[in-house]
Amino acid sequence: MSAVIEIAGLRKTFHTLRQGRRIAVDGFDLLVEAGQVHGFLGPNGSGKTTTLRALLGLVRADAGRMRVLGAESPERLADVAGRVGAIVESPQFFGNFTAHKTLRLLALAGGVPTARVDEVLEQVGLRDRGDERVKGYSLGMKQRLAVASALLKDPQLLILDEPANGLDPAGIREMRDLTRSLAAAGVTVLLSSHILAEIQLICDHVTIISRGRRVAYGPVAEVLAGFDQHQWQVRVAEPERAVELLGRAGLAVIPYHDHLVVTGVVDPELISRTLGEQGLWVRELTPLRPDLESVFLELTGDHPHPALPRQVDGAPPNDGVIDLDVRESREVDA
Amino acid sequence: MNLVRAELERLAARRFVQLMVLLLAVAFALTVATTLAGSHRPTPVELSRAQTQAADEVRNLELAHDRCLRIKAGTVTPDENDYLPRDCAQIDPALMDKLPSASDYLSGVFVFANEAEPLLYFLIAFLAMFGFLVGASYIGADLNSGGVVNLLLWRPRRFAVLGAKLGTLLGGLLGLSALASVVYLGVFWLIGEASGLTGRIGGAFWSSLAAVWVRGLVLVLLAAALGFALATLGRHTSAALGTVAAYLVVWELGARLVFQILSVTRPDRFMLSSYLAAWLSGEARFWDNDACSGDIAGFCDGYYSLGWAPGLVVLLALTAALTVGAFTAFRRRDLI
Repeated sequence: MSAVIEIAGLRKTFHTLRQGRRIAVDGFDLLVEAGQVHGFLGPNGSGKTTTLRALLGLVRADAGRMRVLGAESPERLADVAGRVGAIVESPQFFGNFTAHKTLRLLALAGGVPTARVDEVLEQVGLRDRGDERVKGYSLGMKQRLAVASALLKDPQLLILDEPANGLDPAGIREMRDLTRSLAAAGVTVLLSSHILAEIQLICDHVTIISRGRRVAYGPVAEVLAGFDQHQWQVRVAEPERAVELLGRAGLAVIPYHDHLVVTGVVDPELISRTLGEQGLWVRELTPLRPDLESVFLELTGDHPHPALPRQVDGAPPNDGVIDLDVRESREVDA
Repeated sequence: MNLVRAELERLAARRFVQLMVLLLAVAFALTVATTLAGSHRPTPVELSRAQTQAADEVRNLELAHDRCLRIKAGTVTPDENDYLPRDCAQIDPALMDKLPSASDYLSGVFVFANEAEPLLYFLIAFLAMFGFLVGASYIGADLNSGGVVNLLLWRPRRFAVLGAKLGTLLGGLLGLSALASVVYLGVFWLIGEASGLTGRIGGAFWSSLAAVWVRGLVLVLLAAALGFALATLGRHTSAALGTVAAYLVVWELGARLVFQILSVTRPDRFMLSSYLAAWLSGEARFWDNDACSGDIAGFCDGYYSLGWAPGLVVLLALTAALTVGAFTAFRRRDLI
């Protein structure tokens, strides 16, 4: 498959008088291939939006190489801009313009037939509200308008930064269906979101960023598999005896108040056989597979800490230093 | 071209622009209404009286000139009421730009030839303010609201996008200003025709008015570019307004006071307002405190003047420098 987005060694440092020097992106790499629905995850302040802004020529990178649809960015970005639809963070629109006018002016500026305006308004569910002023829109409706503006160009590549912001559950589902239908039509989608379950449902590939560096990437299933500790949840009538029997068989068991968790077992038959041979019958045997949320929290060091308020990325709440090199070693190749 | 069309539509659709155009229309309507209400077509009697008064005044001027010549020739002894310039040609009615005319002595009659220039200055002042505010808010609001970012996602060419915005602004403003001034002067000319007098509107009048009009249009464009550049540099409309307010308070008022205390020679040379006045009126005259302070016998002209050329150079240089700065900053800036 051909690469649609390639970022290698992206580095960006912001300098402010008040806060001094702050590294936003530190040697970040990203590869999105044609046809992928690629999730881009990271905690607040991890460098997601800076990366997207640099890719789209809005922020000047200090170092690194970026290509979009084969064109060097930002030098030759204009050559492919007509095939790239993007929303970055929550775009703002003039409140006094209607959605229809907003899109019409963008279409005019971009040389897109204005007939597309009605099509995209229909696509994002704003057909009947398109002649209302944007200032009367809810956050979710503004988000739909932003997505409509990105779709206006009938893009080959769609970059969506938090498209589900402000959407209600039905809206999130509609956005998911829209993304899927676009992907099915051959559009490559790069989707940045905080809704991890959503990413897991929609995306086939994922890249996770933390403190400006890539900490995991690859097909979602493989990334998850890389964190699978082969754990099983077991319920039996006599848990204390089960702990003893499983321990004697060399298995690692963690007892909880109403169940046990057995770790490091590839084949669950071993558990049921070990217990069954001693007349202890298993009532429940459930695999504990990692989900994207647990992997994300594990990788980014973003686990909630009971005693401390959680800090945005770059200021960990505890004194532990996240060893990015260790995490890199756990990455799964695409 | 598409970008310019889109920008023109965006500019015209902006609420602030519409409000300012409405304000201009209201001010225009009020001026027209009050002029119409306060003017009437002069009766033959009023006209005859005014013509007599004007002829008397011209005769007085001629007598004063004759007397001046005779005093200088030593045939008449001057008294304390005589005004004696260094050269009697200064009060020669034949050399005066404008002689008293009947229209100067008509009360309650709108005379287009007398009022056109001040009316045009009023319009230029409004349009310059309009240009500055619209120029600043057009880019300031776009930068602040993310409109520019939206546009750059479509046209990732910063120079082209900013250039299209500035070009559209200046082109639109030039069209509006030209149209507004033609309509404005046209309506007042009609008032003069229908309910007053048009006065002496010969070639000299029109060329003088055209010169003011052209200088005014240039000033309007410079003001708009200045507002645009300052707001681009400051990323916000208020940056432009704040800069102008700060300049007026700190430099035009504060520094002028300091110059006065320090007895700096010709402090007006350092003020933008001097060059503005010089450009707009063709020439601005300022008093030089030191000019007549030495041992000068006889007449001393303590005034010095600034012509329109240095005025234009200073205003152009300032606007060009800020505009180049704005484009350079915008090209390098991180849009976050």
